[in-house]
Formats: sequence, C-alpha cells, structure tokens
Amino acid sequence: MRRLFLVLGSDVRRHLKSPLAIVIFMAIPMVMTALIGIIFAPKAEQTTLPPIPVVLVDHDKSIASRLVLGAFDADQLKKMFEVTVADEAEGRRRMEKGRASAILIVPEKFTLDLLDGKTTTLTVVKNPAEQFLPDVVEEFVATMAVMLSGAIQAFEAEAKGIRVLLDSPVDLIPWETLGPEFGKAQKKVVAASKYLNPLLIGIKAEETRAPGAKPRFTRRDLFSIMLPGMAVMFLLFIVQTLMRDIISERGDGKLRRMMTTPLRPMELVGARLLGGWVMGLVVLLVMVAVGTLIFGAYWGNFGYFLLLGAAVSFWTAAFFGLFGALVRNRNQAGAFSAPIILAFSLFGGSMMNPEAMPKAFRAIGVATPNRWFIDGAALVRDGRFPLVPLLILLASGLVLAALAAPALRRRISV
Amino acid sequence: MKGAPRVLHVAWNDLRIMVGDKVFLFWTLVFPMLFIVLFGLLYKSSDSAPAVAELTVVNLDQGRWGAYFLDKVKSPAVDLKIVGSEPAEYNRLIVLPPDFSAKIEAKRGQTLALKKREGASTQAAARVETRLYQAIARMLSELILYGEGDLSKFLDRHAEFRDIVQVKSGFPEKTVTVVPSGFDHSIPGTTVQFIMMMVIIYGGITVMEDRKTGVLARMLFSPLTKGQVFRAKLLGRWMMGLVQALILIVVGKIFFKLNLGNTPLSLLVIAVFAMAMAALSVFIGSLCTKEDMIIGLAVLLANIFAGLGGCWWPSEIVPRGVRQVAMISPAYWAMDALHKLRFFQGGFRDILPNLGVLAGLAVLLGFVSARFFKVRD
Repeated sequence: MRRLFLVLGSDVRRHLKSPLAIVIFMAIPMVMTALIGIIFAPKAEQTTLPPIPVVLVDHDKSIASRLVLGAFDADQLKKMFEVTVADEAEGRRRMEKGRASAILIVPEKFTLDLLDGKTTTLTVVKNPAEQFLPDVVEEFVATMAVMLSGAIQAFEAEAKGIRVLLDSPVDLIPWETLGPEFGKAQKKVVAASKYLNPLLIGIKAEETRAPGAKPRFTRRDLFSIMLPGMAVMFLLFIVQTLMRDIISERGDGKLRRMMTTPLRPMELVGARLLGGWVMGLVVLLVMVAVGTLIFGAYWGNFGYFLLLGAAVSFWTAAFFGLFGALVRNRNQAGAFSAPIILAFSLFGGSMMNPEAMPKAFRAIGVATPNRWFIDGAALVRDGRFPLVPLLILLASGLVLAALAAPALRRRISV
Repeated sequence: MKGAPRVLHVAWNDLRIMVGDKVFLFWTLVFPMLFIVLFGLLYKSSDSAPAVAELTVVNLDQGRWGAYFLDKVKSPAVDLKIVGSEPAEYNRLIVLPPDFSAKIEAKRGQTLALKKREGASTQAAARVETRLYQAIARMLSELILYGEGDLSKFLDRHAEFRDIVQVKSGFPEKTVTVVPSGFDHSIPGTTVQFIMMMVIIYGGITVMEDRKTGVLARMLFSPLTKGQVFRAKLLGRWMMGLVQALILIVVGKIFFKLNLGNTPLSLLVIAVFAMAMAALSVFIGSLCTKEDMIIGLAVLLANIFAGLGGCWWPSEIVPRGVRQVAMISPAYWAMDALHKLRFFQGGFRDILPNLGVLAGLAVLLGFVSARFFKVRD
C-alpha cells in the first residue's frame, strides 16, 4: 500500500511540474461558458434582443412617411428599433454587412394615396441571412398599417379636405369655408378620444407559469446549468491525459524498468486508477470553485455534489484505465480518445441542452457519463439527492474498474 | 519553382497517411455530420415557433361584441381555441369578461389580460399579441367611423374596415427566392469549425510527432531543404482542410440539398481560410511539445473562433459588442463571405475584403510559422 501511495505521489508531482495542458483543458469550459453566457444569458431589461436595425427608404417625403418614421420613435419602440433613413442601395449595402435586418420602403405618393383613400402598399424587404429579426419588423409594420388604415377611414372627409389644400394654390383656398369643416373634425376628434383615452380595449400581457413549472432562469441559473456539462466534458479530457501515462510508459520501456523494483503490477494499476480518480476529482473541484467565483454558479448541497463528482471521476478513471489496456500504443490512444470524448459530450448533453436535442440523440446520451452527471447535478441544484445518477455512475464505474484492473495488470506484466 | 515536385510529393504523402488513419472518417465525416444534423434541426425549428400560433380564448361575454372581436382576431397565422373555462395547460390565453360587450356599449375602457406561459414560443406570442392589437385598431376605427350613434345597433349595420395600407414583404432582388433551410446555415458553419479543429489537431500533432521522432530531421538527408520541408508540411495541412471541406460539401449537396450560392467562390473562401488554419497548425505544432497541449489549444481556439464567428448561432442575436469582437475570429470572415455568396448571391468583388483579410492572415501566420518551424527539438 505504501508503494501505491509513493507512485501516486510521484505522479501528482510530475503532473504539477508541467500543468499547462491541464490548465488549458480547465480554461476551455470557463471560456465557453463565458461566451455562451454573454450571448444568451437573460438581461435585466425586458428585451433580450439587440436593437433591430431598419433602413427606411422614403420615396414619399411627405406627412404620412414622417408619421411612419415617427412611429418607430415612440418611447417603447426606440429601444427595439434603430431606424436609419437612406436609399435602397445603401439599405442593401447595410443588409449585406449585417447592419440592417429589413428595409421598409414607403412608396411615392403614399401621402396622397392615403388622403384619397386609395389602397397603397408598404414594402418590407427582409434580410435573407437573418432568421428572426426581419419577421419582427414585418409584424410591426403590419400593425402600423392597420392603424394608418383605421385613422384614414375614421377621418376620411378631413383627409380629402387636406388633399384639396395640398393641391390648391394658397390664394384659391376658400379659408372662410374651413371653419365649419374644422368644427366637424373637432367633433370626430372628441368622439375618438372617448375610445382612445382611455383605450376602449387595452391588452396587458403577463407571463404565467404552469403548475409545477420551474421559475424563469437568470444569468446565474444559465451558468449553473451549463457549467456541469462543460466541466464533465473537460474532466474526460483531463483524466484521459493523466491515464495515458500507462500507455506512454509501456511504449518507452519505463514500465518494464519499474517492474524490476519490488513494486507489484496491481499496486501500479491501483496507483494509476486512484491517481486518475483523485486528480480528476481535484480538477473538477477547481473548476467548480472557479465557476462559482467567476460566474456565481451554484451547485446545491456540497456534500451531494462531492459524492456525484467523486462518482463521475471514478467512472472516468476506470473507463480510461480500461481504454489504456485495450489500445496498442499512444498514437492509437490519441486517435480514439478525443472522438470518444466528443461523442460522449455531444450525445450526453455537454454541448447542448438535452431537451433541445432530437429523441434519437437523447436515447444514445443515456449511455454516457455526461448525461448522468448533468442530470445528477440538476437534481443536486434542486436540493434533491442524486440517487439514480449516482448509482448508475458507481455501478458502471465498478464494472469498468473490474474489467480495467486485470486487463491493465496483464499489459503491465508483458 | 525548383523543388516543387518534391514539396508536392511530401504533402501528398502526409495527406495519404491522414486518409489512411482509422479515425479519419470520424473527424471528417461522422462527427461533423452529427453537428450538421443537430444544428440544422435547431435552425429549422428556431425558437420552436409553430407555423400557426395558438391562442386559447375563454369567451364569457354575455353580448355580441366578444364574438365580433374574435372574428377580427382570426387569421391564418393564429389558431383560436375557444374553451369554456381557463384550462390548466395553454400557451397563450385571453379571457373576455362577461361585461365585455356592456363596457363597449357604455364606452368604458377595459383591459384584457393576455396570459403567456413562460417557456412557450416567444415568436408565436409576439404574433398573437400583434394580431390582438391589429384587431383592436380595426374595431376602434369602425367605432370612430360609426360616430355618436347607438352602439347596441352597431353590429347590425356599420361600415366595414378596409385595409387601405397593405404590407408586402419579400427578399431583396437577386438574392434568395425561398427561405434558406436550417442546413444551409449549419453546413457552412460546421465545415468552417471542423476545418479549424481538424487541421490544427491533426496538422499540429503530426508536425510535433515528426519532429520528436526525428522524421523531419531525416527528411533533410533527402534533397529537401528546410524551407521545402516547411512548405510541404504547410501544403499537406492545407490539403487536409480542403479534403475535409469537399467531403462535407458533397455530402451536404447529396443529402441536404445544400445551396452555397456560388460554389466555386465558396470553395475559394474555404481554401484561403484552410490555408490560414494550416499555417496556424504548423505554428502550434512547432511550439508545442505535448499532444494534449495541441488538442487543448485546438479545441479552445476552434470553439472560441466558431462561437464568435457565427458558426453556431445566427449573428443577428449576438450583442453588438460581441459582433465587433468577432472580427478577430478568422471564422467570422469566412462565414461572412459564405453568407454573402449564399444569401445575397454575391460575386468575387463582394467577398474581396473577406478574402483579403483571410489571405493576409494566412501570409502572417505562414511567416510566423516559418520563423518558428524547427526540425529538431
């Protein structure tokens, strides 16, 4: 046993001397979490989308087109849209550079057609490279069109009066007859104000939660959900790096030299498996600590999480122990390990929320440690004991260790 | 070019070794395909917005105005589900109170609560909300037009709302005619990401291994100079990137009807991008002494560049500041050029700035990697 711990201590010291690869693997989940967090984390403000850039092409250059422009300038919409008045060529240039989600074209004679009560068309040209924002612009313009149509119909007679005024030279306008017309308009405005102030029918949108549904998550929640998946993915990379010692030592003859000492093969196997397990757990805990400090991630009951972390580290050490016994040389190990880890991570939910994945992907994910660790971490966060994930990781880890130990012993003895 | 055949011979040999590798198929085809399918399906069902947005309605109104209002809400894009009482399960719900009609006829303002379930599609919710506002605007216009008359007789005779201002929407001329599929977004993104990942990992590790095992030093006993060995390694890694891209594009065309816009120009963009990555791989392979370090660096760089460069998600949803930072990513310039070609039917002139940046990067990285390239540790 003493010799086992001597080997373990020596391994730890050796890895601490050149920790760069491990540090890089520990940095990756943090960088990835930060990047995804910056982009997708819910913001404090209501709108989660950046302002939508819209180019307004005004071929009308009259009252109605200014009304359209003004509509985008309303208090709440100012944050939502960013309108630039330009020509179509400039709009297209902006679109190609990703600086316009849509171009809104106000046609020539828009104001005159409206005043005449003639049907007229606003054109929304959508950025073909974008998927969401152009539709928002289209919906908004459709609503604005309804409002304009309504206003024109309600004040049809007055609109026609304005039309006459626009067409006539000032000296031909019968100013004396305008008084009664303004009177009629005033009556309509007064009547309209009864419906508009306060609004006859208003809508108040509110978010509700289905019974038993979890509350909407915050930025901190997002980090807490993401980090376990990222951490387990890079734990696999790190433990694989540590466990590869056996293969390289077999290749360069170190193992044979070690076997000339009183060290027994099973002691060396035990030291390597224990080393992978303990160092894996330490690395995981460092990632947890850094995640907590930088992102404020929460993990739930620390005791439960420690158990889960120990189980997944054990599983990983046992798996790569067996893997090391099965591959022929270092090159083969290098070639196969990364694809295996990436496949585990893709199907197991480290790269994407399992709920968003196709059913087939989710079914395969059940066979990965990532999935059970992620599920277990979610249970711990919810304040529950991760019994099923823990049992599955421990049971399958024990089977792997039971297969790995004799296989490794055989490879070491050769 | 004196010695070019020898350089080509060594590069070709590197490529041959790579293609013969057991996991070549995994890195070049299987794993990228999984990514393409996953992200393609995600893009396709973006925000899981259904084609028709559902609105559950509890109409308790004791008059006729409730039904009239709902008639105005009806649209091909909104599916009204009328129920007797508030159900436990719904995505969006609106309740018309018993005195809905009475309040309208008395010209008293009222506010209807639109309940939206957390987690339900926000796009569908926005569509429903917009439709409700449009219905209200239509009704109010008719009421104003109706004037001061008795509102209890309004529904029997009134002027109908006319859509005087109509809205036409479409894509710019000479761009796309149909909405691009999810795979049109995911295949270029995955191709760019995996060129980075595979070329840096494979290319870097083999340069390092060849140096450590003395293969590079032994090559100098042949008529090759150190410069030619460097060029051969660079060329070999560039060809790796090209082979990877060609495989994914061909598979994308056959199975996912991938449309790249101008295919030769898309290949040119990928070729210049792959050259920059080849130079980076030789540089990393020359600097690093451990395989794990190269894998770590490759995964780190490829993921950061892919995330920033728009390989994983549409850049429109990315905050403006991040979009500015994204310009440091070579993937950004490649993806931007591919977007111009695919979505705007762009030509050579349109992608010239992108090609310039990528070529500049390739030259810079090529120069740096040549400076650090060594045949012995």
